[in-house]
Amino acid sequence: MIPQTFEYTAPKTLDEAMALLASGGKPLAGGMSLIPMMKLRLATPEHLVDLGRIKDLDYIREAAGELHIGATTTHYSVESSALVRGKCPLLSAAAGAIGDPQIRNVGTMGGSVAHADPAADYPAALQALEAKIVIRGAKGERTVSAADFFVDAFTTSLESGEVVREVVVPVEQAGTGTSYLKMPQPASGFAIVGVAVRVQRSGGKITLARIGVTGLSNIGYRAWAAEKALEGSAGSADDITKAAALVAQGIDANSDLHASADYRRHLASVYAARAITAAASKA
Amino acid sequence: MLARAIPGCEGLEQTGPDEYRMKMKMALASLSGAFEGKVKITDQSPPSSFRLLVEGSSKIGFVKGEGLLKLTPSGEGTEVAYEGDAQIGGTMAAIGQRLIDGTSKMMIKKFFEKLAAESAS
Amino acid sequence: MATTIIQTEKLVGKRIRRREDPRLITGTATYVDDMQMPGMHHAAIVRSPHAAAKIRSISIKAAAEAPGVVAVFTGKDTEKVGPVPCGASLPGLRVPHHYILAIDRVYLVGHPVAVVVATDRYLARDAADLVEVDWEVLPAVADPEKAIAPGAPPVHPQWPDNVAFVYNQEGGDVDKAFAEAEVIVKQRITSQRLIPSAMETRGVLAEWRGADRQMTLYTSTQVPHLVRTLVAGMLGLEENRMRVVAPEVGGGFGSKLNIYPEEALMGFVSMKIGKPVKWIESRRENFLCTIHGRGHVDYFEVAAKKDGTILGIKLKLIQDQGAYHQLLGPAIPTLSVLMMPGLYRTKNIRAEVIGVFTNCTPTDAYRGAGRPEATHGIERMVDILADELGIDPAEIRLKNFVHNEEFPFPTATGLTYDSGDYAAPLQKAMGIVDYTKLRAEQAAARKQGKLMGIGICTYGEICGFGPSPATPAGGWECGTVRVEPSGKVTLLTGSCHHGQGEETTFAQLAADELGVDIDDILVLRGDTAIVPYGIGTFGSRATAIGGTALYYAMQDLKVKMKKFGAIMLDSHDVSYANGQVVCNKMGKSVSFKEIAAASYRAMKLPPNTEPGLVSTHFWEPPNFTFGFGAHIAVTEIDPETGQITVRRYLAVDDCGNIINPLIVDGQVHGGVAQGMGQALWEQAVYDDNGQLVTGEYTDYTMPRAHMMPWIESQHTTTPSPVNPLGVKGVGEAGTIGASPSLVNSVVDALSHLGVRHIDMPLTPEKIWKLVAGGKN
Ligand SMILES: Cc1cc2nc3c(=O)[nH]c(=O)nc-3n(C[C@H](O)[C@H](O)[C@H](O)COP(=O)(O)OP(=O)(O)OC[C@H]3O[C@@H](n4cnc5c(N)ncnc54)[C@H](O)[C@@H]3O)c2cc1C
Repeated sequence: MIPQTFEYTAPKTLDEAMALLASGGKPLAGGMSLIPMMKLRLATPEHLVDLGRIKDLDYIREAAGELHIGATTTHYSVESSALVRGKCPLLSAAAGAIGDPQIRNVGTMGGSVAHADPAADYPAALQALEAKIVIRGAKGERTVSAADFFVDAFTTSLESGEVVREVVVPVEQAGTGTSYLKMPQPASGFAIVGVAVRVQRSGGKITLARIGVTGLSNIGYRAWAAEKALEGSAGSADDITKAAALVAQGIDANSDLHASADYRRHLASVYAARAITAAASKA
Repeated sequence: MLARAIPGCEGLEQTGPDEYRMKMKMALASLSGAFEGKVKITDQSPPSSFRLLVEGSSKIGFVKGEGLLKLTPSGEGTEVAYEGDAQIGGTMAAIGQRLIDGTSKMMIKKFFEKLAAESAS
Repeated sequence: MATTIIQTEKLVGKRIRRREDPRLITGTATYVDDMQMPGMHHAAIVRSPHAAAKIRSISIKAAAEAPGVVAVFTGKDTEKVGPVPCGASLPGLRVPHHYILAIDRVYLVGHPVAVVVATDRYLARDAADLVEVDWEVLPAVADPEKAIAPGAPPVHPQWPDNVAFVYNQEGGDVDKAFAEAEVIVKQRITSQRLIPSAMETRGVLAEWRGADRQMTLYTSTQVPHLVRTLVAGMLGLEENRMRVVAPEVGGGFGSKLNIYPEEALMGFVSMKIGKPVKWIESRRENFLCTIHGRGHVDYFEVAAKKDGTILGIKLKLIQDQGAYHQLLGPAIPTLSVLMMPGLYRTKNIRAEVIGVFTNCTPTDAYRGAGRPEATHGIERMVDILADELGIDPAEIRLKNFVHNEEFPFPTATGLTYDSGDYAAPLQKAMGIVDYTKLRAEQAAARKQGKLMGIGICTYGEICGFGPSPATPAGGWECGTVRVEPSGKVTLLTGSCHHGQGEETTFAQLAADELGVDIDDILVLRGDTAIVPYGIGTFGSRATAIGGTALYYAMQDLKVKMKKFGAIMLDSHDVSYANGQVVCNKMGKSVSFKEIAAASYRAMKLPPNTEPGLVSTHFWEPPNFTFGFGAHIAVTEIDPETGQITVRRYLAVDDCGNIINPLIVDGQVHGGVAQGMGQALWEQAVYDDNGQLVTGEYTDYTMPRAHMMPWIESQHTTTPSPVNPLGVKGVGEAGTIGASPSLVNSVVDALSHLGVRHIDMPLTPEKIWKLVAGGKN
């Protein structure tokens, strides 16, 4: 439970941080994923660059129909922010479903997406929201879609020396119903399965459906087939069941001590149906 | 070819017929470790199948994998099927079910992608 | 001299807040890790990553040369230190020699092979990574049933069948009972391995003063005196040159009722380097190297008449012992045998226990120690029998209970149940939950396709361990009451409580008994240099035995007080009441303080009068005490996901007289949480190679506050005749009652689908499969 020796720097500005990262430093945000690994010596970074003291990374702002969430914004801030609750309730629901209050008080948006845990909650919501991740590197900034950002288990499209600067999500249009439901793994709190749903209706039909799934696969993904099945339907109980049955289609489901692949797939459909029903009832 | 296909492999050194000493670096999100071990190829029936034994140990534990690889030509490329079993021990065994399943799947996938790429070239 | 008698308020029976809590909940208590000493060094232990392997060689060169390192020791250096002791004795018990550091072979993951000592904890840990061991990995076996199957790899090569012991017990005429039975039900029931998870991991600080030939060992233990005797023996040190201190101990649940290699190892290191040395167990080490609990596979058979009368019980019990025997390991399943008839009258039992070596962490006493396993078994079997016969589970229990007029009741397993009214808590519980109405609700729910279950457990518990013949190190306890010259009262108890609240209950007892202000009373424990002698806190014994020892010490003290009072009052006819000695004739009195001062000042004592006010009593109980109770759990199951919701949890416990209801409720709550943990979530899982897969809290599901339902705690009171306090014990009651009531409840919810039994933990996936498949 004692990590290997490391250096620690807490820069005040992002520019300073970038310089330190360029020379091999490793970002430290809330430390909720990184520190336990270091204590077991499964991770042995030589130099930690703490992003926590950088003021202009901790913010939630609205601009041009989008919400911008700074990398070091804690899960609790996202969960409790009136702005996020009002304008992107799916994201605050996902934040509120993470771990427990202690974790949410310390863990950050940037840390969670950069870590890309296959059972993390944000990826489901970010996929359903078609979020954008703004990445800062030595050469400047680039923006990638959530779909392109999450590559594999614990693997993102971040290059070395790059950091997540912010996450951008759309402000929901009036009449969009959303829901995030998860079955937590009882020991860790991570998702065995988590399903994030956004639904819009018009003229008695579902006009838009976005479904993000986490916990089931190596990365959070969008359930395209289920979305297609839902869009254009009346959103009846039967439509929902049929669509929900498709969320795990073609997925090589994870299997571990806590849930077999079959059970996970089954849960994905059950939670999808419930989340879709909940979202549709608000749309 | 093997050296390039094994993810993180930093060098293979032949120690006997179909036996190699391997240095491998695993780096995955925050997890990192330098492994030393050996790779052995047995039950070769070229070109369709062989058995691969990989053993590595490090401060954070050990891995032992054994797998039967079946290569079947299909159209332009080769289809690779894998059947195997991996053992993990030491601290690594305790890092969490979530991590192990995700990671091993990914390593295997990477291996085959690379193997396929290497065999194609 | 006062002349009035003040009627002090009685404290026994009051919900007094725990005096120990402020320091515990503000984090200001002193644990082993809080202790600092000049020149203190730190140890890190190198452990095996393999469950079974030969050690070809160990290279310590790099570690020894690392910065800050002062010494590295391996098994060759510590070979002469005595083995880690097993205190249990059974006929034919095979006891492997348990070296404190492995010599040439390891038997489990976490097996210590070397210790690195450095000037600070970080350097020690860094250097531990530099110790290189050349392993020859051997096949391992982690499952007890696989271990005794032919062809299994031997854990200890000298015993290729992996059998550690076989123990048989029989009472009555079992064959006749089964021959006459109208119905026989059989079931395999497991009680999975659990990881005790005390909040404070273990830790040891050893200080050897060579010039004085004095060792002080600070260790997080439930049994300091036992540690002193046994570790002194291991180190070849005279017992009186060793002092063991258990400072604040952050929970134990049985896991610190033991002697561990690290206790002797730190003593050894300190003697070698001539400096104090500290080792603090990491949580990872705690998972691997501190004992585990349970680990049963039970094959039960119950013979009965059609009316539900139980005629006999057979049990084949396979106990996973792990790689070694720790202090009491082999004795634990024998406690299961003692308790296997539960509260029922049947006199015909047969049990065969097979203790099995596996390449896993040793199992030993964990809250309940043998009784939860037994209760889980019999209470499941009674439900299965009820289901088979179509009898209500409450009714079948009422039918088979020992009758009130039969106490003291000799059981088929050789115990004598002291006192009881077994129907009382069940009837009270049924009344509180309105059992009839619940059953009607369940029937209605079923019609709507909802799954609702009602589970009953009526348990008995062996408390107050115990008469010495039944307890390996002696079953008595020692209590001292010392009145200081100022009139303050100091209680010294051999019960080394570690979170149970005796600092408060013992003070309550003494305040009433002596008639002094509770704030004048201090309770000390946990230091062999302060407490004359003691056994420790475990087996729901502290109040029943430790409290009684203090009670008798106080009676003796009162005699002394009366003697001094009589001298001071110049009267032969005095009595002791409410903290005063009163002259019965004149009504004059002397106060507690006055007597205390006079007894030490000793100015006007007649010849041959012993000054001072100290009394010590060693109390040997004539019997165990037997607590009992009824728990009812109401559950609902989500048929789509298999998730269980505990809608209601009611515990009605009878622990005899209650000294502090608040503390009793706390014990019940904590106990139920642990029992619920076993029923629903916790399991230590090993893979086939002996790697602990649930090796961290990320996969081992410790119950947490937010997972708990509201726990209602109620009581009936049947005083024990075994001790003058009439107390029984309640430390383990919640744990014993919880797992059967919960599993019975969930099985009840699924019984109409043909489900009769489910092994713990009741994971949602298991339940979902049963709902989907409809069969067990
Ligand atoms: C007990 C427990 C329960 C949990 N339960 C859940 C749960 O239910 N759901 C869930 O989603 N998560 C859960 N988590 C994880 C938690 O949400 C973490 O906060 C999150 O995964 C990592 O965020 P962090 O800020 O702590 O990052 P850190 O641990 O500091 O960093 C994680 C990784 O990301 C890198 N990193 C950090 N910030 C950046 C950045 N801005 N740019 C680039 N790289 C960066 C670090 O270098 C490191 O590799 C749990 C964690 C614990 C300990």
